[in-house]
Amino acid sequence: MTTTREVVAADDATLIERSLHEPEVFAVLFDRHAPLLHRYVTRRLGPSDAEDVVADTFLAAFQNRGDYDRGRPDARPWLYGIASNMIGKRRRAETSLYRAYLRSGMHPGEIPGAQVEDGVNTLAVNRPLARALLRLNRADRDVLLLVAWAGLSYQEVADALAIPPGTVASRLNRARNQMRQDLPEGDWQ
Amino acid sequence: MNALTGMWQNVPAASRDDLAGARRRLLDGMQARPALTTSRRRVVTAPRLLVAAGVAAAAVTAPLVAGGGTPAYAVTENPDGTITVALNEMRDPEGLRADLLTAGVTADVSFLAPHTRCADSRFEGADPSYGSRGHTEAQLRKGVEQWRSFAATQVVDVREIRIRPEFIRPGETLVLEFRDNQDARRPWRLGAWLAKAGSPVKPCTPVADAG
Repeated sequence: MTTTREVVAADDATLIERSLHEPEVFAVLFDRHAPLLHRYVTRRLGPSDAEDVVADTFLAAFQNRGDYDRGRPDARPWLYGIASNMIGKRRRAETSLYRAYLRSGMHPGEIPGAQVEDGVNTLAVNRPLARALLRLNRADRDVLLLVAWAGLSYQEVADALAIPPGTVASRLNRARNQMRQDLPEGDWQ
Repeated sequence: MNALTGMWQNVPAASRDDLAGARRRLLDGMQARPALTTSRRRVVTAPRLLVAAGVAAAAVTAPLVAGGGTPAYAVTENPDGTITVALNEMRDPEGLRADLLTAGVTADVSFLAPHTRCADSRFEGADPSYGSRGHTEAQLRKGVEQWRSFAATQVVDVREIRIRPEFIRPGETLVLEFRDNQDARRPWRLGAWLAKAGSPVKPCTPVADAG
Protein backbone atom coordinates (compact mmCIF):
# COMPACT_ATOMS: atom_id res chain seq x y z
CA MET A 1 0.00 0.00 0.00
CA THR A 2 2.21 2.80 -1.26
CA THR A 3 -0.30 5.64 -1.62
CA THR A 4 -1.24 5.95 2.01
CA ARG A 5 -2.54 9.50 1.88
CA GLU A 6 -4.81 8.67 -1.03
CA VAL A 7 -6.11 5.63 0.75
CA VAL A 8 -6.78 7.50 3.96
CA ALA A 9 -8.60 10.26 2.07
CA ALA A 10 -10.60 7.98 -0.24
CA ASP A 11 -14.31 7.46 0.30
CA ASP A 12 -15.55 4.06 1.40
CA ALA A 13 -16.72 2.96 -2.03
CA THR A 14 -13.29 3.67 -3.50
CA LEU A 15 -11.61 1.73 -0.72
CA ILE A 16 -13.91 -1.23 -1.20
CA GLU A 17 -13.35 -1.26 -4.93
CA ARG A 18 -9.63 -1.02 -4.45
CA SER A 19 -9.71 -3.83 -1.90
CA LEU A 20 -10.85 -6.18 -4.65
CA HIS A 21 -7.28 -6.04 -5.94
CA GLU A 22 -5.50 -5.08 -2.73
CA PRO A 23 -7.32 -6.85 0.11
CA GLU A 24 -5.20 -5.18 2.79
CA VAL A 25 -6.85 -1.84 1.95
CA PHE A 26 -9.97 -3.18 3.62
CA ALA A 27 -8.22 -2.73 6.99
CA VAL A 28 -8.53 1.02 6.47
CA LEU A 29 -12.31 0.63 6.35
CA PHE A 30 -12.11 -1.24 9.65
CA ASP A 31 -10.05 1.50 11.28
CA ARG A 32 -12.45 4.12 9.99
CA HIS A 33 -15.72 2.58 11.16
CA ALA A 34 -15.02 -0.10 13.77
CA PRO A 35 -14.67 2.24 16.80
CA LEU A 36 -18.20 3.65 16.49
CA LEU A 37 -19.72 0.39 15.26
CA HIS A 38 -18.26 -1.26 18.36
CA ARG A 39 -19.83 1.46 20.49
CA TYR A 40 -23.22 0.92 18.86
CA VAL A 41 -23.06 -2.83 19.40
CA THR A 42 -21.83 -2.38 22.96
CA ARG A 43 -24.83 -0.21 23.75
CA ARG A 44 -27.13 -2.95 22.47
CA LEU A 45 -25.37 -6.11 23.59
CA GLY A 46 -22.66 -5.14 26.06
CA PRO A 47 -18.89 -5.29 25.60
CA SER A 48 -18.50 -9.05 25.80
CA ASP A 49 -20.46 -9.62 22.57
CA ALA A 50 -19.34 -6.47 20.81
CA GLU A 51 -15.91 -7.67 19.75
CA ASP A 52 -17.32 -10.81 18.14
CA VAL A 53 -20.09 -8.94 16.36
CA VAL A 54 -17.67 -6.34 15.00
CA ALA A 55 -15.25 -9.02 13.80
CA ASP A 56 -18.05 -11.05 12.21
CA THR A 57 -19.49 -7.93 10.58
CA PHE A 58 -16.24 -6.92 8.93
CA LEU A 59 -15.41 -10.47 7.88
CA ALA A 60 -18.83 -10.81 6.26
CA ALA A 61 -18.40 -7.41 4.63
CA PHE A 62 -14.98 -8.39 3.34
CA GLN A 63 -16.27 -11.62 1.88
CA ASN A 64 -19.18 -9.84 0.17
CA ARG A 65 -17.38 -6.69 -0.88
CA GLY A 66 -17.72 -7.66 -4.53
CA ASP A 67 -21.46 -7.00 -4.26
CA TYR A 68 -21.11 -3.55 -2.70
CA ASP A 69 -23.00 -0.80 -4.52
CA ARG A 70 -20.18 1.55 -5.42
CA GLY A 71 -22.63 4.36 -5.98
CA ARG A 72 -22.79 4.73 -2.20
CA PRO A 73 -19.68 6.51 -0.95
CA ASP A 74 -20.53 5.96 2.73
CA ALA A 75 -20.36 2.31 3.80
CA ARG A 76 -21.95 2.84 7.21
CA PRO A 77 -25.47 1.73 6.17
CA TRP A 78 -24.00 -1.42 4.67
CA LEU A 79 -21.92 -2.19 7.76
CA TYR A 80 -24.68 -1.35 10.26
CA GLY A 81 -27.09 -3.48 8.25
CA ILE A 82 -24.78 -6.48 8.50
CA ALA A 83 -24.28 -5.76 12.20
CA SER A 84 -28.05 -5.57 12.69
CA ASN A 85 -28.34 -9.11 11.37
CA MET A 86 -25.59 -10.25 13.72
CA ILE A 87 -27.31 -8.53 16.64
CA GLY A 88 -30.57 -10.20 15.64
CA LYS A 89 -28.92 -13.57 16.13
CA ARG A 90 -28.08 -12.54 19.68
CA ARG A 91 -31.44 -11.18 20.61
CA ARG A 92 -31.34 -12.99 23.93
CA ALA A 93 -28.11 -11.19 24.84
CA GLU A 94 -29.78 -7.88 24.08
CA THR A 95 -32.89 -8.50 26.15
CA SER A 96 -30.72 -9.89 28.96
CA LEU A 97 -28.72 -6.67 28.97
CA TYR A 98 -31.85 -4.53 29.29
CA ARG A 99 -33.19 -6.75 32.07
CA ALA A 100 -29.89 -6.68 33.91
CA TYR A 101 -29.89 -2.90 33.65
CA LEU A 102 -33.37 -2.74 35.12
CA ARG A 103 -32.14 -4.76 38.07
CA SER A 104 -28.70 -3.27 38.63
CA GLY A 105 -28.80 0.18 37.06
CA MET A 106 -25.40 -0.56 35.49
CA HIS A 107 -24.62 -0.87 31.81
CA PRO A 108 -21.44 -2.95 31.50
CA GLY A 109 -19.99 -0.76 28.75
CA GLU A 110 -20.46 2.62 30.39
CA ILE A 111 -17.74 4.74 31.89
CA PRO A 112 -19.02 5.25 35.41
CA GLY A 113 -19.53 8.79 36.56
CA ALA A 114 -18.85 10.39 33.23
CA GLN A 115 -20.19 13.91 32.83
CA VAL A 116 -22.50 13.69 35.78
CA GLU A 117 -21.87 14.50 39.35
CA ASP A 118 -21.23 11.50 41.53
CA GLY A 119 -24.47 11.91 43.40
CA VAL A 120 -26.46 12.35 40.24
CA ASN A 121 -27.06 9.47 37.93
CA THR A 122 -28.98 8.98 34.78
CA LEU A 123 -30.67 5.86 36.01
CA ALA A 124 -33.92 7.73 36.47
CA VAL A 125 -33.85 8.63 32.80
CA ASN A 126 -32.58 5.36 31.40
CA ARG A 127 -34.49 2.77 33.37
CA PRO A 128 -37.91 3.58 31.84
CA LEU A 129 -36.25 3.70 28.41
CA ALA A 130 -34.69 0.25 28.89
CA ARG A 131 -38.07 -1.11 29.97
CA ALA A 132 -39.70 0.40 26.88
CA LEU A 133 -36.99 -0.89 24.52
CA LEU A 134 -37.47 -4.34 25.94
CA ARG A 135 -41.10 -4.29 24.85
CA LEU A 136 -40.43 -3.35 21.23
CA ASN A 137 -40.29 -6.04 18.60
CA ARG A 138 -36.93 -6.62 17.01
CA ALA A 139 -37.66 -5.00 13.66
CA ASP A 140 -38.97 -1.80 15.24
CA ARG A 141 -36.09 -1.66 17.71
CA ASP A 142 -33.56 -2.03 14.89
CA VAL A 143 -35.01 0.95 13.06
CA LEU A 144 -35.36 3.10 16.16
CA LEU A 145 -31.83 2.48 17.41
CA LEU A 146 -30.20 2.86 14.01
CA VAL A 147 -31.68 6.36 13.99
CA ALA A 148 -31.18 7.24 17.66
CA TRP A 149 -27.81 5.60 18.41
CA ALA A 150 -26.14 5.11 15.03
CA GLY A 151 -27.33 8.46 13.67
CA LEU A 152 -28.48 7.06 10.33
CA SER A 153 -31.06 8.89 8.21
CA TYR A 154 -34.31 7.25 7.11
CA GLN A 155 -32.82 6.53 3.70
CA GLU A 156 -29.67 5.10 5.25
CA VAL A 157 -31.73 2.85 7.51
CA ALA A 158 -33.67 1.72 4.44
CA ASP A 159 -30.38 0.91 2.72
CA ALA A 160 -29.03 -0.83 5.82
CA LEU A 161 -32.01 -3.11 6.29
CA ALA A 162 -32.91 -3.45 2.60
CA ILE A 163 -36.46 -2.22 3.19
CA PRO A 164 -38.37 0.64 1.52
CA PRO A 165 -38.15 4.09 3.15
CA GLY A 166 -41.90 3.96 3.73
CA THR A 167 -41.42 0.85 5.86
CA VAL A 168 -38.71 2.63 7.84
CA ALA A 169 -41.10 5.50 8.50
CA SER A 170 -43.95 3.22 9.60
CA ARG A 171 -41.72 1.13 11.88
CA LEU A 172 -40.21 4.26 13.39
CA ASN A 173 -43.64 5.73 13.95
CA ARG A 174 -44.85 2.55 15.61
CA ALA A 175 -41.75 2.36 17.80
CA ARG A 176 -42.09 5.99 18.88
CA ASN A 177 -45.75 5.53 19.74
CA GLN A 178 -44.93 2.45 21.76
CA MET A 179 -42.17 4.29 23.61
CA ARG A 180 -44.50 7.19 24.29
CA GLN A 181 -47.06 4.85 25.80
CA ASP A 182 -44.51 3.09 27.96
CA LEU A 183 -42.80 6.16 29.37
CA PRO A 184 -44.02 8.56 32.03
CA GLU A 185 -45.91 11.46 30.50
CA GLY A 186 -43.64 14.11 29.06
CA ASP A 187 -40.49 11.99 29.05
CA TRP A 188 -40.60 11.24 25.34
CA GLN A 189 -39.98 14.38 23.37
CA MET B 1 -36.37 10.93 21.31
CA ASN B 2 -33.65 13.14 22.78
CA ALA B 3 -33.67 11.09 25.95
CA LEU B 4 -33.16 7.91 23.94
CA THR B 5 -30.35 9.48 21.92
CA GLY B 6 -28.57 10.30 25.17
CA MET B 7 -29.16 6.89 26.70
CA TRP B 8 -25.90 5.16 27.59
CA GLN B 9 -23.95 7.79 25.72
CA ASN B 10 -21.13 7.26 28.22
CA VAL B 11 -20.33 4.04 26.40
CA PRO B 12 -17.10 5.08 24.70
CA ALA B 13 -16.02 4.50 21.13
CA ALA B 14 -13.75 1.49 21.09
CA SER B 15 -10.04 2.01 21.60
CA ARG B 16 -7.32 0.27 19.64
CA ASP B 17 -6.97 -2.21 22.49
CA ASP B 18 -10.69 -2.94 22.45
CA LEU B 19 -10.53 -3.64 18.72
CA ALA B 20 -7.23 -5.51 18.56
CA GLY B 21 -8.85 -8.96 18.63
CA ALA B 22 -11.48 -8.14 16.01
CA ARG B 23 -8.86 -6.53 13.78
CA ARG B 24 -6.64 -9.58 14.03
CA ARG B 25 -9.55 -11.82 13.10
CA LEU B 26 -10.27 -9.65 10.07
CA LEU B 27 -6.64 -9.69 8.96
CA ASP B 28 -6.48 -13.45 9.43
CA GLY B 29 -9.69 -13.86 7.47
CA MET B 30 -8.36 -11.64 4.70
CA GLN B 31 -5.24 -13.74 4.45
CA ALA B 32 -7.21 -16.93 4.33
CA ARG B 33 -9.10 -15.84 1.25
CA PRO B 34 -7.57 -15.08 -2.13
CA ALA B 35 -8.19 -11.75 -3.80
CA LEU B 36 -11.40 -11.83 -5.81
CA THR B 37 -9.55 -10.81 -8.94
CA THR B 38 -6.62 -12.95 -9.97
CA SER B 39 -5.40 -10.91 -12.92
CA ARG B 40 -2.65 -9.26 -10.90
CA ARG B 41 -1.76 -12.44 -9.02
CA ARG B 42 -0.74 -10.57 -5.91
CA VAL B 43 0.34 -12.55 -2.93
CA VAL B 44 -0.77 -10.99 0.33
CA THR B 45 1.95 -11.60 2.85
CA ALA B 46 1.89 -11.03 6.56
CA PRO B 47 4.44 -8.19 6.42
CA ARG B 48 2.28 -6.32 3.90
CA LEU B 49 -0.70 -6.65 6.18
CA LEU B 50 1.29 -5.48 9.14
CA VAL B 51 2.45 -2.44 7.20
CA ALA B 52 -1.14 -1.68 6.32
CA ALA B 53 -2.14 -2.08 9.94
CA GLY B 54 0.69 0.14 11.12
CA VAL B 55 -0.07 2.92 8.66
CA ALA B 56 -3.73 3.00 9.56
CA ALA B 57 -3.04 2.87 13.26
CA ALA B 58 -0.56 5.72 13.02
CA ALA B 59 -3.19 7.86 11.36
CA VAL B 60 -5.61 7.25 14.18
CA THR B 61 -3.17 7.96 16.98
CA ALA B 62 -1.20 10.76 15.38
CA PRO B 63 -2.42 13.53 17.70
CA LEU B 64 -1.27 11.63 20.76
CA VAL B 65 2.23 10.83 19.61
CA ALA B 66 3.03 13.84 17.47
CA GLY B 67 5.58 15.11 19.96
CA GLY B 68 7.30 11.77 20.31
CA GLY B 69 6.26 9.69 23.28
CA THR B 70 2.90 9.97 24.99
CA PRO B 71 2.36 13.20 26.92
CA ALA B 72 0.33 13.37 30.12
CA TYR B 73 -2.42 15.05 28.17
CA ALA B 74 -3.12 16.56 24.76
CA VAL B 75 -5.46 19.40 23.91
CA THR B 76 -6.64 19.42 20.31
CA GLU B 77 -8.80 22.09 18.73
CA ASN B 78 -11.09 20.43 16.19
CA PRO B 79 -12.30 21.96 12.92
CA ASP B 80 -15.90 21.93 14.19
CA GLY B 81 -14.98 24.23 17.07
CA THR B 82 -14.94 21.54 19.74
CA ILE B 83 -11.88 20.73 21.82
CA THR B 84 -10.64 17.23 22.54
CA VAL B 85 -8.67 16.54 25.68
CA ALA B 86 -6.84 13.23 25.80
CA LEU B 87 -5.86 12.54 29.38
CA ASN B 88 -3.24 9.84 29.59
CA GLU B 89 -1.87 10.57 33.03
CA MET B 90 -3.32 12.51 35.91
CA ARG B 91 -0.56 15.01 36.45
CA ASP B 92 0.09 18.67 35.65
CA PRO B 93 -3.43 20.07 36.14
CA GLU B 94 -2.06 23.60 35.86
CA GLY B 95 -0.56 22.81 32.46
CA LEU B 96 -3.87 21.45 31.26
CA ARG B 97 -5.68 24.49 32.61
CA ALA B 98 -3.24 26.79 30.79
CA ASP B 99 -3.59 24.88 27.52
CA LEU B 100 -7.36 25.00 27.74
CA LEU B 101 -7.14 28.74 28.29
CA THR B 102 -5.01 29.01 25.15
CA ALA B 103 -7.77 27.10 23.37
CA GLY B 104 -10.27 29.66 24.63
CA VAL B 105 -11.77 27.82 27.59
CA THR B 106 -11.41 29.11 31.14
CA ALA B 107 -11.19 25.98 33.21
CA ASP B 108 -10.37 24.73 36.69
CA VAL B 109 -8.80 21.29 36.76
CA SER B 110 -8.43 18.99 39.76
CA PHE B 111 -6.93 15.52 39.86
CA LEU B 112 -8.15 13.49 42.80
CA ALA B 113 -6.90 10.37 44.54
CA PRO B 114 -9.12 7.27 44.56
CA HIS B 115 -12.15 7.45 46.84
CA THR B 116 -11.99 11.21 47.25
CA ARG B 117 -13.88 14.14 45.85
CA CYS B 118 -13.63 17.89 46.16
CA ALA B 119 -15.56 19.33 49.09
CA ASP B 120 -18.92 20.82 48.14
CA SER B 121 -19.74 24.46 47.51
CA ARG B 122 -16.60 25.40 45.65
CA PHE B 123 -18.55 27.73 43.37
CA GLU B 124 -22.00 28.78 42.29
CA GLY B 125 -23.16 26.60 39.40
CA ALA B 126 -24.37 28.11 36.14
CA ASP B 127 -27.17 25.55 36.21
CA PRO B 128 -28.62 23.26 38.89
CA SER B 129 -26.38 20.32 38.00
CA TYR B 130 -23.80 21.27 40.63
CA GLY B 131 -24.85 20.15 44.07
CA SER B 132 -27.85 18.35 42.64
CA ARG B 133 -27.84 15.33 44.91
CA GLY B 134 -31.24 16.29 46.27
CA HIS B 135 -33.01 16.50 42.93
CA THR B 136 -36.03 14.41 42.17
CA GLU B 137 -36.03 11.91 39.34
CA ALA B 138 -38.21 14.16 37.22
CA GLN B 139 -35.82 17.08 37.71
CA LEU B 140 -32.89 14.92 36.74
CA ARG B 141 -34.60 13.64 33.63
CA LYS B 142 -35.26 17.19 32.55
CA GLY B 143 -31.83 18.35 33.58
CA VAL B 144 -29.92 15.83 31.52
CA GLU B 145 -31.46 17.37 28.44
CA GLN B 146 -31.46 20.99 29.49
CA TRP B 147 -28.49 21.76 31.73
CA ARG B 148 -25.57 23.15 29.79
CA SER B 149 -23.05 21.54 32.12
CA PHE B 150 -24.00 18.16 30.69
CA ALA B 151 -23.79 19.42 27.12
CA ALA B 152 -20.52 21.34 27.48
CA THR B 153 -18.41 18.29 28.31
CA GLN B 154 -18.78 14.76 27.03
CA VAL B 155 -16.66 11.70 27.59
CA VAL B 156 -16.03 10.29 24.13
CA ASP B 157 -13.45 7.63 24.79
CA VAL B 158 -11.72 5.85 27.63
CA ARG B 159 -9.18 8.64 27.95
CA GLU B 160 -10.82 11.45 26.03
CA ILE B 161 -13.35 14.15 26.65
CA ARG B 162 -14.79 16.63 24.18
CA ILE B 163 -15.53 20.16 25.23
CA ARG B 164 -18.15 22.09 23.29
CA PRO B 165 -17.49 25.80 23.86
CA GLU B 166 -20.82 26.74 22.28
CA PHE B 167 -22.44 25.75 25.58
CA ILE B 168 -20.11 27.87 27.70
CA ARG B 169 -21.10 31.50 28.14
CA PRO B 170 -18.66 34.39 28.57
CA GLY B 171 -17.24 34.59 32.07
CA GLU B 172 -18.16 31.02 33.01
CA THR B 173 -15.54 28.58 34.22
CA LEU B 174 -15.52 24.93 33.24
CA VAL B 175 -14.78 22.98 36.40
CA LEU B 176 -13.30 19.54 35.81
CA GLU B 177 -12.72 17.08 38.63
CA PHE B 178 -11.00 13.88 37.57
CA ARG B 179 -10.83 11.09 40.13
CA ASP B 180 -8.35 8.25 39.81
CA ASN B 181 -10.43 5.15 39.18
CA GLN B 182 -7.61 2.61 39.67
CA ASP B 183 -8.71 0.77 36.54
CA ALA B 184 -6.63 0.77 33.36
CA ARG B 185 -9.76 0.28 31.28
CA ARG B 186 -11.57 3.19 32.92
CA PRO B 187 -8.74 5.21 34.35
CA TRP B 188 -10.77 8.08 35.79
CA ARG B 189 -14.18 9.37 36.65
CA LEU B 190 -15.14 12.87 35.71
CA GLY B 191 -17.30 15.47 37.31
CA ALA B 192 -17.81 18.47 35.01
CA TRP B 193 -19.82 21.59 35.71
CA LEU B 194 -20.03 25.23 34.66
CA ALA B 195 -19.38 27.83 37.32
CA LYS B 196 -21.52 30.94 36.97
CA ALA B 197 -19.89 34.04 35.50
CA GLY B 198 -18.44 36.10 38.33
CA SER B 199 -18.40 33.16 40.75
CA PRO B 200 -14.84 32.46 41.87
CA VAL B 201 -13.92 28.79 42.05
CA LYS B 202 -12.37 27.84 45.37
CA PRO B 203 -9.42 25.45 45.38
CA CYS B 204 -10.37 21.81 45.66
CA THR B 205 -10.24 20.42 49.17
CA PRO B 206 -10.24 16.63 48.84
CA VAL B 207 -12.58 14.80 51.17
CA ALA B 208 -13.26 11.09 51.49
CA ASP B 209 -15.94 9.69 49.25
CA ALA B 210 -17.21 6.15 49.25
CA GLY B 211 -17.92 6.07 45.49
